[in-house]
Amino acid sequence: MDRALPREDLRTLLDQVTREITQREAGIILDAAELSRDGPEDETCTVYTSFDRGMDTSLSLRADTSMFVRLARGMMQTEDLTPEDVEEVAKEYFNVLCGHVLSRLFQVTRLPARFSVPSFCRGRHVMEDNEDYIILNYIGDQNEWVQLIHHTPCGTGCC
Amino acid sequence: MKKKLMVVDDSRIMELQICKLLEDSDFEVVAYCENGEEAIARYAEIQPDVVTMDIIMPGIDGLETAQVLLEEYPEAKILMVSSLAYEDTIQEADRIGTRGFLYKPLSREKLIEALENTLA
Repeated sequence: MDRALPREDLRTLLDQVTREITQREAGIILDAAELSRDGPEDETCTVYTSFDRGMDTSLSLRADTSMFVRLARGMMQTEDLTPEDVEEVAKEYFNVLCGHVLSRLFQVTRLPARFSVPSFCRGRHVMEDNEDYIILNYIGDQNEWVQLIHHTPCGTGCC
Repeated sequence: MKKKLMVVDDSRIMELQICKLLEDSDFEVVAYCENGEEAIARYAEIQPDVVTMDIIMPGIDGLETAQVLLEEYPEAKILMVSSLAYEDTIQEADRIGTRGFLYKPLSREKLIEALENTLA
């Protein structure tokens, strides 16, 4: 993907889409954070997917569990949530985010890429054989930590 | 009488959102299918007035599901509902014979307008 689009342009696009979708879906305003953070695994969750059809890359979003809970409250408009609700909302939010990323990339690359159904896990999800990353760190307006990682696999020319 | 809507989406959250957005409207969600295979199996039983169809789903995707439904039931009125809304996908949905394309995230106003246009 980042060969079809200059790296800085891709970073800008990912940043714009992440902020826009997070605000539209749940009213959460994200600000850029300078530094990454490595908190306890059980206090964070990750949603992730891979792109195909011309874009052999993947995208993951790791955040404080409290951010996903807030997202779920915003999208479902209820305080009465189960862990399954939070997982479902996280995957749907990420589905929308990925769709918007690919739709905007299409305008530049003309590649009709798709993404696989997003997956969810507690803690960190480690992508294998990925060497090239774009990492964006955010702090939510209630101090939630969010990290978006775009991965390009080893073997596609990055190494 | 309210129009019968069948929601096809792997996310139960989308079904809940659509139900909420359509409260006090002329549409009612009467069936929820979490994948394309289920939609194809249940369409004849449900006989919905309109179908909302996601694209990215496990198994056969929404475009393939719409194509199968329209081959078997040419009268089916299908509204694609997806975040994956670039020209190529929209043209493919149009070529298959779906009636419209709605970009996620949804709003009540846009959803009702799109459903009305799908039935028109």
